[in-house]
Amino acid sequence: MKKFSFRGGTHVREHKDTAAIPATRLPEPATVAIPLSQHIGVPAKPVVAPGDHVDIGTVIGTVETGLGCPVHSSVSGTVKEITSYNNAQGQPVQSIVIENDNLRTRAATVVPPGIKLEDATAEQIIEIVKNAGISGLGGATFPTYAKIQSAIGKVDKVMINCAECEPYITANHRLLLERGEYIIDGLEILMHALGVKEGILAIEDNKMDAVTEMESLLKARDNVGIRIAVMKTKYPQGDERQLIYAVTGREVPAGKLPADVGCLIVNAETSAAICRAFYRGIPLVSRIVTVEGDCVKHPRNVRAPLGASYMDLINFCGGFVKEPKKIISGGPMMGQSQWDFNAPVTKGTSAVLVFSEEHDRINTIHTACIHCGMCVHHCPMHLMPNYLAEFAKEKRYDEAEKMNVMSCVECGTCSYNCPAGVQIVQQIRVAKGVIRAKKR
Amino acid sequence: MDQNTDFQNKLLTVSPSPHIHRRGLSTASVMKDVFIALLPAAIWGSYAFGWRAAVILLISVVSSVAFEALTEILLRRTVTISDCSAAVTGLLLGMNLPSSVPFYIPVLGSAFAIIVVKQLFGGIGKNVMNPALAARVFLTLSFAGKMTIFYPFRQTVDAVASATPLASLKTGALPEGTTIWNLFFGQTGGCIGEVSALLLIVGGVYLLIRKVIRWQIPVAFLGTVALLTFLFPRGGLTAFSDRLDFMLASLLSGGLLLGAIFMATDYVTSPVTPWGRVIFGVGCGALVVFLRYFSAYNEGVSFAILIMNAFVWYLDKFTMPRVYGKERREKKPKA
Repeated sequence: MKKFSFRGGTHVREHKDTAAIPATRLPEPATVAIPLSQHIGVPAKPVVAPGDHVDIGTVIGTVETGLGCPVHSSVSGTVKEITSYNNAQGQPVQSIVIENDNLRTRAATVVPPGIKLEDATAEQIIEIVKNAGISGLGGATFPTYAKIQSAIGKVDKVMINCAECEPYITANHRLLLERGEYIIDGLEILMHALGVKEGILAIEDNKMDAVTEMESLLKARDNVGIRIAVMKTKYPQGDERQLIYAVTGREVPAGKLPADVGCLIVNAETSAAICRAFYRGIPLVSRIVTVEGDCVKHPRNVRAPLGASYMDLINFCGGFVKEPKKIISGGPMMGQSQWDFNAPVTKGTSAVLVFSEEHDRINTIHTACIHCGMCVHHCPMHLMPNYLAEFAKEKRYDEAEKMNVMSCVECGTCSYNCPAGVQIVQQIRVAKGVIRAKKR
Repeated sequence: MDQNTDFQNKLLTVSPSPHIHRRGLSTASVMKDVFIALLPAAIWGSYAFGWRAAVILLISVVSSVAFEALTEILLRRTVTISDCSAAVTGLLLGMNLPSSVPFYIPVLGSAFAIIVVKQLFGGIGKNVMNPALAARVFLTLSFAGKMTIFYPFRQTVDAVASATPLASLKTGALPEGTTIWNLFFGQTGGCIGEVSALLLIVGGVYLLIRKVIRWQIPVAFLGTVALLTFLFPRGGLTAFSDRLDFMLASLLSGGLLLGAIFMATDYVTSPVTPWGRVIFGVGCGALVVFLRYFSAYNEGVSFAILIMNAFVWYLDKFTMPRVYGKERREKKPKA
């Protein structure tokens, strides 16, 4: 079998220990705090007030103009307060706190749209995806409806990103095994909306059981338009630029989008969410979260309602076995460390990782850059991170820009492989921030 | 649950991603690998030239580490001897000395390498030239007489200095009684660490397997020397087998292997791009042949590498890899 790959990158120790454990539903949390901005774009405005009754799927925040997604209640109960919390990026975000009545009643608005796929128009599908509040579930949280809209007439391939190249995370892996049907349905809907004949499921070769499962599902459907691309396990294979290059040999030009080279890429769970919205009318109110790390007693995947606190998830997984030193939202390569144990699960939370002191990389010894070239060797964008970091440190931002610092995808491969322990990618982020601010 | 609430009062570390790091990889681990890779050749040198050689190596390593600590204390920098780079510099310097030198020579060399070449330029990672090589050249120029007395293999007691293979190669032939195999196994005279070609290659293979060095510099360096010495041998050799012998003798004698495998690949003073490394290696190789043929010295490896050290930034700049999603040359917008 031909395995697809890209130049650069690195094999990161996988730690995919939760792959064999079925995902479990989180017991109803007592309260949820649902942020109104879980996506890239304009934050939603609250449309409920404290004291209002809401059900699962009731719209609690809307975006009228601009890029954005509506927000739905993930539990049934009473709105307690509308307050401001800090999100995973550290910015204050308006959030709606809902007290759970544990009845799990569905809102009257949650009804199947009742459109047959053959008859559905692109506009109808986009509308359904928009109203379901679906944004990219891989972590980037770009509103999916806008992604589809911008791809109309431009693409010849739709790809489902099932690479899951971050260590520890197995949420997509479990979804492939447990809800493979939904993912394929979602892909069919997208292909139909865009009039595309070619659909690709891109899976890394550390998930061969999922490949077998998807193969048998595809066979049962006798579907000719969809194929599976098995990719070598390598970080950052799940970065859409690397994925497009690996599977199609096309390079996304700097500053352009995948649609500009004829590809639409959505995450596996996003595809499943599109399927649920289209066939059953269920908005995006829950997701699978991998709860892992050496501090967690029973690591596993949890189906959690949006807005449930990290502590709810950790307690459900048996609590801590060691003193936690770092809590990460997302994978260890690109995820954000949190300072609050009670941060809420959002649309972008693919994992909650809890590490003790010995797992924390602050323990690595730090010397000056020794010019070894490991970062250059491994950079998937073929940059020279050592020089970029040096320029950033010395505030020589113009030179950094000339050396294409803006092409950096911040995957962290450079820092991971740096013997000197230099925080290369962080210095690059600083340079990018300054350059972006100058341009504004 | 009580324990959990207890934990919740603890402060968490908030730091930028990535939150993990390649296990077991550090500057010290890299330097230790280089040290280990050098050891077989160093031990062979001590066997070939006796206890004097071992003492010189020891003095060199100890004084390098001591000077590093001392300078850093005086300059109020963090003491970085635990990264093992000073020990590697010391060992390399010692291996680049003949076993005949007085014991103050390695001390002087270490002082020059560490204080002048390394610390005054800003310490690890900031030096422009390879410290051990710069020190060797400094010593060769300052103590020309002492630095060129080479004892023959396994004869250290009142030995008479003999011609090294390199000296007689200037006329196109190996010294009487020396074969290519002697050179390969290290049964010859020369600097302490450079005599055993076999063990230097073993060390190089170890570094390649451990991915401490990449193949480009050694292969380009040695390949260039091989090509040039084969095409343009000295002494008017014409027959194929003579040319081949001359080429092999040139590759195996002197400090070429030590230089190509361990000194030209020094991270700090070599390019980071694959093509930059190839050009760097080719440049070193061409200069070695040129200097060996036409300079006043028999050996040209140190000078060649030091000269190429000066070009590292330009080589990196002009061999910059093509960035994903970008043209190699950006079309300049018309003004």
